Amino acid sequence: MSLQKSVKSVGGDQDNTSICSSVTTQPDRHGFFGGAQYSPEPKRTLSPSTILKREQKWLRMLNNWEAFMSKNYKKVRERCRKGIPASVRPKAWLYLCGGQLLLEKHPDEYEELLKAPGDPKCMEDIRKDLHRQFPYHEMFIREEGLGQQELFCVLKAYSVLNPKVGYFQAQAPVAAFLLMHMPAVQAFWCLVSISDKYLSGYYNPGLEVLQRDGDILHALLRRTAPAVHRHLVKHRVEPVLYATEWFLCALTRTLPWDSLLRVWDCFLCEGVKVLFKAALVILAGALGPAKVRKRAAGLCETLEELRHPPPAILGEDYLMYHMQRLGLTEEDFEFEHQRQTAKRRAMANRRYIKHPVYTLFLALRALTSNVGYDLAVKCKRIAYNGA
Amino acid sequence: MAKTYDYLFKLLLIGDSGVGKTSILFRFSEDAFNISFISTIGIDFKIRTIDLDGKKVKLQIWDTAGQERFRTITTAYYRGSMGIMLVYDVTNEKSFENIKNWIRNIEENASADVEKMILGNKCDLDAKRQVSKERGEQLAVEYQIKFVETSAKDSLNVEYAFYTLARDIKAKMEKKQEASNPAGARSGTHQLRDERPKPTSWLSRCSVL
Repeated sequence: MSLQKSVKSVGGDQDNTSICSSVTTQPDRHGFFGGAQYSPEPKRTLSPSTILKREQKWLRMLNNWEAFMSKNYKKVRERCRKGIPASVRPKAWLYLCGGQLLLEKHPDEYEELLKAPGDPKCMEDIRKDLHRQFPYHEMFIREEGLGQQELFCVLKAYSVLNPKVGYFQAQAPVAAFLLMHMPAVQAFWCLVSISDKYLSGYYNPGLEVLQRDGDILHALLRRTAPAVHRHLVKHRVEPVLYATEWFLCALTRTLPWDSLLRVWDCFLCEGVKVLFKAALVILAGALGPAKVRKRAAGLCETLEELRHPPPAILGEDYLMYHMQRLGLTEEDFEFEHQRQTAKRRAMANRRYIKHPVYTLFLALRALTSNVGYDLAVKCKRIAYNGA
Repeated sequence: MAKTYDYLFKLLLIGDSGVGKTSILFRFSEDAFNISFISTIGIDFKIRTIDLDGKKVKLQIWDTAGQERFRTITTAYYRGSMGIMLVYDVTNEKSFENIKNWIRNIEENASADVEKMILGNKCDLDAKRQVSKERGEQLAVEYQIKFVETSAKDSLNVEYAFYTLARDIKAKMEKKQEASNPAGARSGTHQLRDERPKPTSWLSRCSVL
């Protein structure tokens, strides 16, 4: 079925409202009626016998999960990289991220959390976002439909469980994406694991970790695609401008659906560095050709290229192939992590030392009297908290 | 490459989450409205070139995520802005009350002479209105900022708002140029300076502070 043929405007029930994206009456195989994620072409699938074989392997693995993870992790990783068969994917994700363990440990907690009233500010923020996640997906298309209700519950439960984070807007697409694959209680525990372990610190106030990881990405790019790195530096394209959504939403708003599922198969197995690898491939793919960089001679032009990379480089085969061939080792990641963490700490210290109250602290300490000392300690505390 | 514009203005949209910043920008840049928007995560931008009293003015408009937690990354972009739109939702009292906090944010992070404007969006939803037009006007008078009620959905006053802000920036700039250059050189020669108003670029600001 061609896109043109199936396109039908549904502007009838919204007075004066022009719908900008075309919407079909038939969802694609992932449940999308339209929008950026809509992919009507049938997937080029593996042979039925290959799928069957893989399904059996996965079922065997899921039945002996502990043993495989502790003794044969490399096998699990290899199978994740090949792609988890669609039929076992929800269960595999639940096991991979540790959601299953959490669920077994706290069987009734989700229901309990939902009984709590919840922080009013969080509840309001969540409500404002319910209709703004994958609005073209069959689960979320209807205002206050089941999908949006479940999304509310999952996000509310998390905000009650972890009041320090509460609700952060980037969690909504992640939770919605999980809800497309599994029941709410499972999606909830996966979200807990992703928010607290995989993307640990990303959702905390301050967004320090996000900014640090942006710097790490930028530094790694220098190794994998030096010309692209130079281009970004030249035009002052900071990671926070292009990578914020990639990282915070774990690419759920960035990749075509088939690619996203494959990347998540690896992400839940190997962790956040998979997001880095995908980001590096997108950066190199979008800005790799010299003629593109020449055309994109400016900040906005460069961001535009990154926002709409050529579809070919976002395809699952291209993406998965190149992610494995970046030539980055575990040590490279670790090295950059240490380096950027130290850099940020040094920067914070510099700010702290320059703080006028800290200068006063130094002067007072010189007095060495008890009174001076007490005052000095106070000043130091103010300088530290205020810096 | 020859420039296709006479001026480049950087504008910024700020305000609480869900007040319609992205919709306003979409209305202005594409002249359309979409009920199926996704929440903005981080920072986004759109560009539109307008004709202002015979000059081509390129507007680079930055759209920001509204949730408070994003402020640590968005305030870094206040400094380079020449104009800021403060948006609230007339059907949401809280978003109106928060305008004061957003103004404080501007005072702390933007350059002192930045042009500002307050927009009360969603004015088509009269049945759900919580903030009267008079209160909006009163707040604007209090802070001496221009004010207009808009509807991105019905395309009401959105063009007007951007044109007004752009015109104010242009007038201020020309006045400044005249003051520094009383001989009256033609304004066309000053474009480069307009693009980077400060030696400390707005992009490097987060590492400066």
